Amino acid sequence: MDQANILDHQFVTAAYTVTWVIQLGYLAWLAFKWRSEKRNAERKARQPR
Amino acid sequence: MKKVLLTLFPLVTILLMIWGYYQAIYVAPDDALQGYIFRIIYYHVPSFATAFTFFTISFIGSIGYLTFRRSRPDWAQRADAWALAGAEVGVVFCSVGLTTGPLWGRRAWGIWWTWDARLTTTLVLWLIYVSYLLLRRFAAGPQMQTLAAVLGIFGALDVPIVYMANRWWRTQHPAPVFGGGPDAGMKDPTMVHALLWNMLSWFCWGFLVLFLRYHVERRHQQYAALEAEEALASVN
Repeated sequence: MDQANILDHQFVTAAYTVTWVIQLGYLAWLAFKWRSEKRNAERKARQPR
Repeated sequence: MKKVLLTLFPLVTILLMIWGYYQAIYVAPDDALQGYIFRIIYYHVPSFATAFTFFTISFIGSIGYLTFRRSRPDWAQRADAWALAGAEVGVVFCSVGLTTGPLWGRRAWGIWWTWDARLTTTLVLWLIYVSYLLLRRFAAGPQMQTLAAVLGIFGALDVPIVYMANRWWRTQHPAPVFGGGPDAGMKDPTMVHALLWNMLSWFCWGFLVLFLRYHVERRHQQYAALEAEEALASVN
């Protein structure tokens, strides 16, 4: 493999990796938010009116 | 039925993601002019297609909120949740497109960025929706949802401009893959299939995340309504 091919390969790997890091990072943040909303709802349900 | 769908849909999406990746990396041939680097397009184009769809959902949600906010408050809240979910997930996909684009451009054009019409209008679109999210995060009071809806509508007006930019103006950005005229697009059917599989898989992934975000927002709205009710009761 020549230098240009190696570079192309690295750039494609970087693009695919960045895509998944952004997508999975957002999904993790969403899961965290979901859990915190669930906890809020449970706390509210336990509180006497 | 709902439970089966909730299990099946993520499973199908994961399988589609794997299949799409396999098509893009192992099945599609190298581009005749660009070579291996062209494979970035299989993630870049679907990301923008999904982002534009979600900004459109946000646009419809914003119009829905403004239409029903007085007559049907519950519908308005649902519409607002769709507007927020569409804008937020749209920004995520737009960020992916704006990151993968320069990586492709560096190898194909020799530069990371250029201020041509397509790229600039896309960056403006991203900035509008980031400001929409910042408004929702930091503004308070009853007018926040209305202001956000108005901004969401104006932001969506940039979507057709971005889409048409490389048809209306002479740009460095390549011609559209679909509907760009006889000389544009992919000639090899294997490459078209790889792009379509990735388009489908990213749409499924996007809708999965969009539904999740919508439900989180609905929960948040219900909690906020309970809090407001209690605060009102304590005052009376």
